[in-house]
Amino acid sequence: MTVKRISFLQDLLAFMGLEGRLHLEWISSAEAQKFVQVITDFTEKIRMLGPNPLRGRRGFQKAAELKAAVGLGKNLTIQHKVERVKNEC
Amino acid sequence: MNAEVKRWLEEGIVDLFLGYKAVMGHCLPHCFVKEKIEEVDDLIVGGSRYALEKIATHITASKPDIKIGMLARDCNQRALNVLYIWNQLNPDQIRTVNVNCCPSNLKEHGDCSYLEPQSAGIFKQQVGVDNTWRPGDLEDYDQSQRLSRWMYEFQKCIKCYGCRNICPVCFCRECSLEHPELVETGALPPEVPIFHLVRAVHMAGRCIDCGLCEDACPVDIPLRLLYRKVNEIVVDVFGYETGSTSAQSPFSIVGDKVTLAPKSLLSN
Repeated sequence: MTVKRISFLQDLLAFMGLEGRLHLEWISSAEAQKFVQVITDFTEKIRMLGPNPLRGRRGFQKAAELKAAVGLGKNLTIQHKVERVKNEC
Repeated sequence: MNAEVKRWLEEGIVDLFLGYKAVMGHCLPHCFVKEKIEEVDDLIVGGSRYALEKIATHITASKPDIKIGMLARDCNQRALNVLYIWNQLNPDQIRTVNVNCCPSNLKEHGDCSYLEPQSAGIFKQQVGVDNTWRPGDLEDYDQSQRLSRWMYEFQKCIKCYGCRNICPVCFCRECSLEHPELVETGALPPEVPIFHLVRAVHMAGRCIDCGLCEDACPVDIPLRLLYRKVNEIVVDVFGYETGSTSAQSPFSIVGDKVTLAPKSLLSN
């Protein structure tokens, strides 16, 4: 059932434009070699795809919101939060 | 039809009947009861469409033994089928009057508001997703195009919950889209695309393609297209035809014979 659910999700993400960022593999605790291989390959694949296009979207939005709040002079500590969110992005 | 409904109410075959009534020229859902039997004369089929089975679900939730009669078009029947499967309604307690529905080659006339989406304007065609598209039409675009087009649509969301509220097969007591720890409160648009994808995944094996969600959406997000695609995948992956079978949804089954292999890393 897991394989079907994951296939479903992979197809849905492909429809949305986020193909290839979800992978399912069965690896036994005795298959250290396979584990290393899968992780290496997947890491390489993700690196080829580049950063998640959705990442930062929310972060930038938050940064902008916080900046607006700072502009209103609501809270000094917000400035730090802006810096933190910026660094995260 | 009216005489038959009157007979049902008088003989106690049903305790109440859900249908439509013309009020000031508008066709509105109405609950007909034995105590006001004269109202049945105003019962009409009309062109409008509401999720009558959703009203029936709400009534049944508070009065489990009540017997309900209702008007049913094809979409209502599919929704009823899904609600029976999910144990929200008992088929023994529901009586339907089946009415004319979508036109086909055999009959030209249909009693329905159709809910045909309007074709998109120039701007939306360039940056968004046209409501008249079929799921296959999006395959003309590459991954980044698809994402930006869907994000354009989703970002319009004003989180009115209209799609969920009108949906005949949305019956959860607690909705994960209203959970303050999952969906940030007081923020617009909601966290996209997660907000819409959560609903899309919940529609898998449930959506009966009535199109009421898209009709209710004030910002014209092509939800019907999204849920159509979701159920296409359900047919491909699970071999489950939502609405037309009486089998349990594949998402409520824990184990099954493995017929698929996981996709290889190199496949895409």
